[in-house]
Amino acid sequence: MRSLYATRRTWLHGVPAWLKLVVLSLAGTALMLLGTLLPLAVATTIVLALFISLGPAGWRQWRMLRGLLIASALIAGFHWLVGDPVVGIVSALRIMAASMLALMLTITTRFDDLLAVLEYTLSPLRRCGVPVERIALGIGLTLRFAENFYAQWQRLDDAHRARTGRGGGLRLLAPLAIRALQTAERVADALATRLGG
Amino acid sequence: MTTTGTMTSTRTLSYIALFAAVIAVFGLIPKIDLPFGVPITLQSLGIMLVGCLLGPKRAFYTVGLFLLAVALGLPLLAGGRGGLGVFVAPSAGFLLGWWIGAVVCGLCMRQFMRRMPEAKGKGLLIAAFLSSAIGGIAAMYLFGILGLMLAAHLTLTQAALAVLAFIPGDLVKCAICAVLVQSVVRGMPSWRLDRD
Repeated sequence: MRSLYATRRTWLHGVPAWLKLVVLSLAGTALMLLGTLLPLAVATTIVLALFISLGPAGWRQWRMLRGLLIASALIAGFHWLVGDPVVGIVSALRIMAASMLALMLTITTRFDDLLAVLEYTLSPLRRCGVPVERIALGIGLTLRFAENFYAQWQRLDDAHRARTGRGGGLRLLAPLAIRALQTAERVADALATRLGG
Repeated sequence: MTTTGTMTSTRTLSYIALFAAVIAVFGLIPKIDLPFGVPITLQSLGIMLVGCLLGPKRAFYTVGLFLLAVALGLPLLAGGRGGLGVFVAPSAGFLLGWWIGAVVCGLCMRQFMRRMPEAKGKGLLIAAFLSSAIGGIAAMYLFGILGLMLAAHLTLTQAALAVLAFIPGDLVKCAICAVLVQSVVRGMPSWRLDRD
């Protein structure tokens, strides 16, 4: 799986993850409060300038922005058709600015750092019985399973292809589901043995 | 009984992570983009499966874990999308809808299976189909439409019309889900469908 994180360092890489998260949530709230065209246009321009300042690291995530641009254009176009172009532009600008900010965080912050911030913020909840380490372990397991699952799919597809000359398609879903559940059962046994039920 | 229904059980954690991975893997299958930035994906099939096979409580944890991983920036949504940005996109309502939908689907399935615990053939198929339709279509679209109304400033009718194009595909997904649930029950007779 290709991560969205950009290994090419930018100025934003050096800013601590928690600070970026705080700024992001404040900026997000501010964007929601700005309801008129001009301030929103200014805000979006500033965000766009910040995004461009990341250089190639940002532009390599172009495909993330492309879908967003299409959606924004459609929303604006739709409202223009209905006869209320300003509402369309306002919501399109807001969506674009908010998404660019979030994307900037995503491409300049390592997953582990975000996970650490999450564990830290959730840690007071530990007293209320929220299993913070379990959540982190769960996310790690999910990624591992996703990889393993994909590999199993390909193996089943190869086997089907070898027998019939065609890919298995949806027919593989049932054997795949059962195999995956059996894998999960084995992992559950292993975890239960090591960590206790 | 080896499985308790809580997140604190290590055993359950394995299933939760597995099903979160199932939702992620369904996202690897290419998506088709529809207007308004809402893509057609197989991921909602994953949501239905989670609800039907895991029951409401674990479905809640599973989708929660998946969405948390997405929010942390993992590109797990169809088309490799991820990060906090997707939660402000026009389709954000559907993400919340997934969460609620999976739980609703699990609740329905549990209710059906408690009424007819011995259901194997047609009865099981119908129960799984209805559960995924109620949770994966009705509940999910309720929130999806609300999201479109808020993010894209559409009226109720406009938003409802915009998502109408998905319904036929979703009914097919419900059917696939029902067949899969039945195969799992056949292949793993110890799998229980009436859990919390």
